[in-house]
Amino acid sequence: MLTLVRRVMAALGLAGLIATLFRLRGSGGVPPQTGGWQELTPAELADLKPLLVPPPSSNN
Amino acid sequence: MTTATGSGFVAVVGLGTTGTHIVRTLTENSTGPALRRLHLHDRESEAVARSRQIAATTSTTISTGPLNALSGEQPDVVILATDCGTHADAASQALTRGSHVVSISDDPDEVLALLAFDERAAGRNLSLVVGAGMAPGLSCLLARLAGDGLDRVDAINLAKAGTGGPACARRHHHALKQPGRDWVGGGWELRRGGSGRDLAWFPEPIGARDCYRAALPGPILLHRQYPDARRLSARVSATRRDRFTSWLPMLRKPHQDGGPGAIRAEVRGVRDGAAETVVLAVMAHPSVSAGAVAANAARAVLGGRAPVGAHGLARWPEPGRFLQELHPYGITVSAFGGGQMNTGPWQLTEPVESPGAGADNG
Repeated sequence: MLTLVRRVMAALGLAGLIATLFRLRGSGGVPPQTGGWQELTPAELADLKPLLVPPPSSNN
Repeated sequence: MTTATGSGFVAVVGLGTTGTHIVRTLTENSTGPALRRLHLHDRESEAVARSRQIAATTSTTISTGPLNALSGEQPDVVILATDCGTHADAASQALTRGSHVVSISDDPDEVLALLAFDERAAGRNLSLVVGAGMAPGLSCLLARLAGDGLDRVDAINLAKAGTGGPACARRHHHALKQPGRDWVGGGWELRRGGSGRDLAWFPEPIGARDCYRAALPGPILLHRQYPDARRLSARVSATRRDRFTSWLPMLRKPHQDGGPGAIRAEVRGVRDGAAETVVLAVMAHPSVSAGAVAANAARAVLGGRAPVGAHGLARWPEPGRFLQELHPYGITVSAFGGGQMNTGPWQLTEPVESPGAGADNG
């Protein structure tokens, strides 16, 4: 019985340690705070390309 | 392309919720080729009377009855809005009679059967528009429009929320218990219906909905346009009750109209050497939008703007123009993008940050 308790405690402790490491090491980033759905005008439907952000230049 | 027809004779077969909206859209639309004659048919006389009343406000000549009872002049375009399972035979007969066909079927097996008429339709210089509803149909147009903005399309995921009339609700219920057909890495994979939960964000007021695999024809139609894509998939929104009861018969009578819904196409690919994702969506009543898409497809066929052969709307030559024509019916395309909405510059895609400047994702 004591062996089982010790194993459970060890497993929980290890899980907690891993979770703490993940919590401290990784920020997880910040979810987008802006943006959303935007209705397109009939003129914009003709060609979406002007709405696309230009790709970053290669010397960045 | 089809050649423009001068007679302007359209037949609508199946006058349920979506069929009624097809009639309304056809008769309300005063632009494009003139609609001289409209033939209506449904197995229920009440449905015929209702659609006849809608069309009676115009100068269009109206006739009713089964198509095979028509003698003499045959319709230029036959719109099939009947229950799934009847479209292949009806399309075959219409093609034999020399009519173009617009089908709103969303059954994958039936869509495959309709696409098999490709050579036959092309040989007669006829157009068979397959899946001209909301999903497939509007979904294919959104995917194509987004895909046209990219140099290469790698993956497309379609998602639909909501149902149209009772037949659409029954089809939704049936689809959830059948396997979904996804194109993955160069081959088709059948995956259990109701699996693969994906939280999809639709325009308000639909918002976020859990969507699942089901027997949906979107990937089949998209594959005709994007055979080199790595992944093509489609999902449909469902509640826990929908999934839990999908193996049972419908426990209660479906609504006359399923209310507002939405369709969404997420297209991933490459543009100017950089990875790009474009997400387009429409919030609309499924029956209204399906009716507008089918009616507009028929108008385009009459005007000689449809390719010959059997094809879905993913292969439509001018998806942007088609969507522009739907705008007066309240079918407005929205794009998901970054930037400050309404208060600052808004762009369709998030700017890509230079290496080292991004957040540490651990």
